[in-house]
Amino acid sequence: MTLDPDKIQGFFPLLQCGFMVKVRIGCSIKTMLCEQFGLNPEYVEDRIQTIFLDGKTVDDIDSAIIKDGSTLALSAAMPGLVGATLRRGGHLALLRSGITHRGGRKSVSRREGMVVLKLFNLVGNELGPTFLKRGIFVRREDLEGLLMSLPGEFWGGCKAATVDGQEVGLDHLLGMTWLDNYDFAMLRVHGDL
Amino acid sequence: MKILRINMGAEGGPKMSEEPMGEYEGLGGRALTSAIVSKEVPPLCHPLGADNKLVIAPGMLSGTIAAMSGRISVGCKSPLTGGIKEANAGGQPSQVMARLGYAAIVLEGKPKDDTLYKIFINKDGVKVGPDKSLKMLKNYDLIERMKGEHGEKIACISIGPAGEMKMAAASVACTDMELRPTRHAARGGPGAVMGAKGVKVIVLDDAGMKMRDPKDPEKFREANKRWVEGLKKHPVTGEGLPAYGTNILANIINEARAYPTKNFMWGTFEGTQKVSGETQAKTETDRGGSATHGCHRGCTIQCSGIFMDKDGHYLTKQVEYETVWAHGPNCGIDDLDTIAMLDRLDDEYGLDTIEMGATIAVAMEAGVADFGDGEAAIKLLKEVGEGTPLGRILGNGAAVTGKVFGLERVPVVKGQALPAYDPRGIQGIGVTYATSTMGADHTSGYAVATNVLKVGGHVDALKPEGQVELSRNLQIATAAVDATGMCLFIAFAVLDQPDTFQALIDMINAFFGSSLTGDDVTELGKSILKNEREFNTRAGFTAQDDRLPDFFKKETLPEHNLTFLVKDEDLDTLFNW
Repeated sequence: MTLDPDKIQGFFPLLQCGFMVKVRIGCSIKTMLCEQFGLNPEYVEDRIQTIFLDGKTVDDIDSAIIKDGSTLALSAAMPGLVGATLRRGGHLALLRSGITHRGGRKSVSRREGMVVLKLFNLVGNELGPTFLKRGIFVRREDLEGLLMSLPGEFWGGCKAATVDGQEVGLDHLLGMTWLDNYDFAMLRVHGDL
Repeated sequence: MKILRINMGAEGGPKMSEEPMGEYEGLGGRALTSAIVSKEVPPLCHPLGADNKLVIAPGMLSGTIAAMSGRISVGCKSPLTGGIKEANAGGQPSQVMARLGYAAIVLEGKPKDDTLYKIFINKDGVKVGPDKSLKMLKNYDLIERMKGEHGEKIACISIGPAGEMKMAAASVACTDMELRPTRHAARGGPGAVMGAKGVKVIVLDDAGMKMRDPKDPEKFREANKRWVEGLKKHPVTGEGLPAYGTNILANIINEARAYPTKNFMWGTFEGTQKVSGETQAKTETDRGGSATHGCHRGCTIQCSGIFMDKDGHYLTKQVEYETVWAHGPNCGIDDLDTIAMLDRLDDEYGLDTIEMGATIAVAMEAGVADFGDGEAAIKLLKEVGEGTPLGRILGNGAAVTGKVFGLERVPVVKGQALPAYDPRGIQGIGVTYATSTMGADHTSGYAVATNVLKVGGHVDALKPEGQVELSRNLQIATAAVDATGMCLFIAFAVLDQPDTFQALIDMINAFFGSSLTGDDVTELGKSILKNEREFNTRAGFTAQDDRLPDFFKKETLPEHNLTFLVKDEDLDTLFNW
């Protein structure tokens, strides 16, 4: 889809639900974020303060290894005692030692795989457009639910839509039942003035 | 500054007296409420009896230009826990009361009948008068009445029907900048004590009064400037909280698999994205409300907001994380409009949202309603407001409700419901829940910079007792912050930015002409906890009260396969310093 840039945030709810991306697995979180996704290492260090890998809180992004099917959640620094406790490192990490990720012990072969990525709050706002442009795999029901919930003013900012390489009109897109045959869809969204 | 005492049980009607601070000189907020309660209230008294006192105290810096200084503390012997209680709230009353020159209002005694009183305070003095017409008014209607009588430049401290019915979950409401009763000193039932004193509302009007003057105005202004800059540049206080409010935590705690779901049965909730801070903020802005709003003048963090209903009409303030959780996932409910309605009803009746959410979840587990049934939750809460027999049970909290329905899984400590973090996932907070003088309380040990304050020294991360030591340090530091009147959300900027912490110390010193150091702050925190701990001991509390409910030690949190592992003997060392 091609949208007015200010309408891209209409798709941000998908980011917190979790979406899939194709990556090379067997590397560290830091390698994936910086080398595969091209994120600035300073941004990763300073902004992405709260990280979960498969429900475990990550302190060391160099030793936590991405596996096929892993779920990685990224967030900015959080408020509250628990929010501070869940942040990477720091003396409060002790308070949640039972759920801390202990790093990769087994070697994971480096090959192509899929991971589920969740982008929360400020991180979602800032990285969302990049991932949407690159393309994300989303669950059919998540995408369907979102498309049905978007208001008319959103669609006013939608300039073009393509399904499986074929350009379609918005009326056609909203009336389609094409998703019924699939569990997942790949969504690419571009901002264009 | 002075202390206003009103004896509600005096012969011939309420009698007022004003006195200098005396032995309480230099104290504010929680330090003052806990000092007065621990010294003047018999620990074994009935919380709703004449011997209990309700102490209302702005913080040390309230009423000044200091940013974020608008918290007000309410202290008493708690009808919910049976121990000492300090609950605090935002809103306007703290600033207004401090500008009127009062460090504390102490309500004493008890009327001989069920007469209900209104207290009006302005620059000319204090008036206390009976007003039967206020009986059983809900908080919003009550404040509208006060606006009609006293104009819109007032601030109010009030109770709703729950307080009048002396329910143990009853809150004390404070009005916000728009004169709405949305800010509550809620935990532990202080509203019931205010109801027992026969006071429906305290109206404060500071017309003609000035900001409090610092001893060194120049240094104070300069320190406040550094203070504000520090708050604004931090990603939590300058970006995250203003954009999403406290409910920014929902997705994170759910991802940590420590998001208590359906009365602490699970650690994740499948509908979290429907009630998350991100979704809430979008809903608010889409409907013409606001996701960025302060609860009092001088707030720079702006973590609140305005929640409109589907038709674009005001329903309630931005519902906070704890409330969204308590009435939402903890009850299996994933609809923001239902949760917002429950929040509005809590504010109307004057109820603690955490206690009521936990109580309804206990009732749901007992089979009174189904988990996830939003309409049933609203109906149950309305029964509380109406004072039906079932409502009276629920309005007395989760512990009473669990007993009535014969339930073992009741998430309370010292009779007070646990907040929104599962202690089996985040064990350190379980230590604070268990040992806090207040009952289970997430704000008792907050993220204040223990490294900056240098309380407790080095903590060994590999030893279980390290969790106890860290919790102790946090509780000490938090007690000190509660004395200043500062919003606890300042903690994040102070945690990460030592220069911002220094700005706070400089501001206090410039205001009082003191030379406070980090060590002094630590000592203040310790003295507050000592007062509170001693009161509880004299009230009959023992080590057995510093425990989490058994089911946290026996049932695993499924997603982490963890029980609460901190040993009792380690918990018993928390107050050893």
